[in-house]
Amino acid sequence: MNDRQLLTRDLLVLFGLTGWGLSLPYLGSEFMVSMGLTCLMYVALSSSWGLFCGSTRYLSLATSAFFGIGAYTCAMQLEQLGWVATIALGAAVAAGVAIVMGAAVLHLRGTYFAVLTFGMTELIRHAVTYYEKSVTGTVGRVLAVVPERDTIYLTVLLLAVLTVGLSMWVRRTRLGLALMGIGADEQRAQTLGVNTRWVKLAGFAMTAAVAGAVGAAMSVRWTYIDPHTVFNPFIGFQTVLIALIGGAMTLWGPLIAAIVFSLLAETLRLQAPQVYMMSLGLLLILCVLYLPGGLASLRWDTWKLWRDDTRAWWKEKKREWTGEKAREKKRSREQRLV
Amino acid sequence: MSDVATPVLLEAREVTVRFGGLVAVDSVSTAFRAGELVGIIGPNGAGKTTFFNAISGVTEPTSGRLLAAGRDLTGAGPHRFAGRGLARTFQTPRVFTDLSVQANIEFGLKFAGRRRRKWIFWGDEVGVPWALRDAAGILRLVGLSEQAALRAGDVTPSQQRLLEIGMALSTRPRVLLLDEVAAGLTEAEVVAMARLIRRLRDELDLTVVWIEHAVKILLRHVERVIVLHQGRKIADGPPREVVRDPQVIEAYLGDEMSEDETVETPDASPTGGRA
Repeated sequence: MNDRQLLTRDLLVLFGLTGWGLSLPYLGSEFMVSMGLTCLMYVALSSSWGLFCGSTRYLSLATSAFFGIGAYTCAMQLEQLGWVATIALGAAVAAGVAIVMGAAVLHLRGTYFAVLTFGMTELIRHAVTYYEKSVTGTVGRVLAVVPERDTIYLTVLLLAVLTVGLSMWVRRTRLGLALMGIGADEQRAQTLGVNTRWVKLAGFAMTAAVAGAVGAAMSVRWTYIDPHTVFNPFIGFQTVLIALIGGAMTLWGPLIAAIVFSLLAETLRLQAPQVYMMSLGLLLILCVLYLPGGLASLRWDTWKLWRDDTRAWWKEKKREWTGEKAREKKRSREQRLV
Repeated sequence: MSDVATPVLLEAREVTVRFGGLVAVDSVSTAFRAGELVGIIGPNGAGKTTFFNAISGVTEPTSGRLLAAGRDLTGAGPHRFAGRGLARTFQTPRVFTDLSVQANIEFGLKFAGRRRRKWIFWGDEVGVPWALRDAAGILRLVGLSEQAALRAGDVTPSQQRLLEIGMALSTRPRVLLLDEVAAGLTEAEVVAMARLIRRLRDELDLTVVWIEHAVKILLRHVERVIVLHQGRKIADGPPREVVRDPQVIEAYLGDEMSEDETVETPDASPTGGRA
């Protein structure tokens, strides 16, 4: 397939998925809509995470910080600004924080970057808690006026579609190419003329803006928010896990994994919450060991390859167990002596 | 040496690079003029590559200044150096292995190489040489047209070396810094490489600065050679004068120049001033 055909295919898939997403509130039950909402939230979060962190291989754990910032912006401003403006503001504030944070830590790589982004998330969470306790005198905030369920759902759906669209678009621009170059060999990209500092800041801010917008949209679903809920590091970890299991470098990987996860989460969490976390961990281990490209890199050939590998292994074992191998060895030794 | 009227494209003024207590490059000053083909030699650990990293912006010098076409670039990022027409290769090819050979060339054309076109309208920069007009032209120049669609990680190491040069050319440079491009190549490949480098200088009018550990091949092709020893510049001049320099001979005693390799220059006796 050439570039144009690929784009057409991706657009068609996105269009089809959007259609399914749109019909869900009218067809599905309350439970399914709530599940769809979680799913769409993680589609947006992990797609945007993959857009920056997947292609540049800068592992950021700050998603929950941006999510929480968006949620708090919404809680503070929803009554004054209205729905759309609040979400835009949430995205803008998160992007602004990301630029400040990025300027401080984006020259670090690997574990240092990951640990520092996590540390900054905790810092922001505790700062917000302190502010709420000492200035406003409360622990959490109640969102009195919230939009309807369908409005929330459609907003999150729109955000998810926009994020996947953004991801598709950026991959075709110079920015996407520069991000990829940074992931492959940052210094080489620099010597070919990429201003890596600005590119990284732009990418990081983009990721943060999506997380901020999603946070703002999701906060109204809870009606009561406190720092502990919206800055929950689990949101950040789960985003990273979903992106990694799905294939952070790919366009559709995070989406596929997000769907798999929300299904797993909703079905297992009620009956056996521990099994959910265990299967999450197991899936991650399997993906890292056997499928480094993530779920999205699964092809028919991958199955065939595994099948052939298993067969070859089984044949070898059988030869060993029946004593064939030992006999052969003996025979060849005798031949050498002759 | 070049005549005084040709413009200086890259100038290093007392460049020093220190790593902790180790002085890797010690106050080296030199200038590269338009259209020059300069070689840099020196025994192991002489600071050749560190000097290269400094003049291409990869390592910031501890002290000293770097001027590209008269503009001070000291402390600027490598992308600024690339944008001012300074391209470099790395000793071990650093190509984007997951991209195709062609896409590797297009990468540079889309970043540092792109700026050039814009500036033509301002009359600030010279036009792009015809051979560097697009990826196909660059691939033809380095002889990789047939490998264009292959994954860069799948071509042979010597082809990767050529691709590395092609990537440097894709930034449409005026100064090309080559770091040991002939190392590990076969005899025939080295000859082809030397021919390519001469062509780049003669046909594209590039200034080429060429580091090589194998002194013999280098001295045969360059017009000016700089000798580094323990971080300092100990000689700078035409090859046949440099090989007679007592300091150079001293530095190379026990190294390959006095042992298995004979220095051949067009009109100097093979062993120079060693007699």
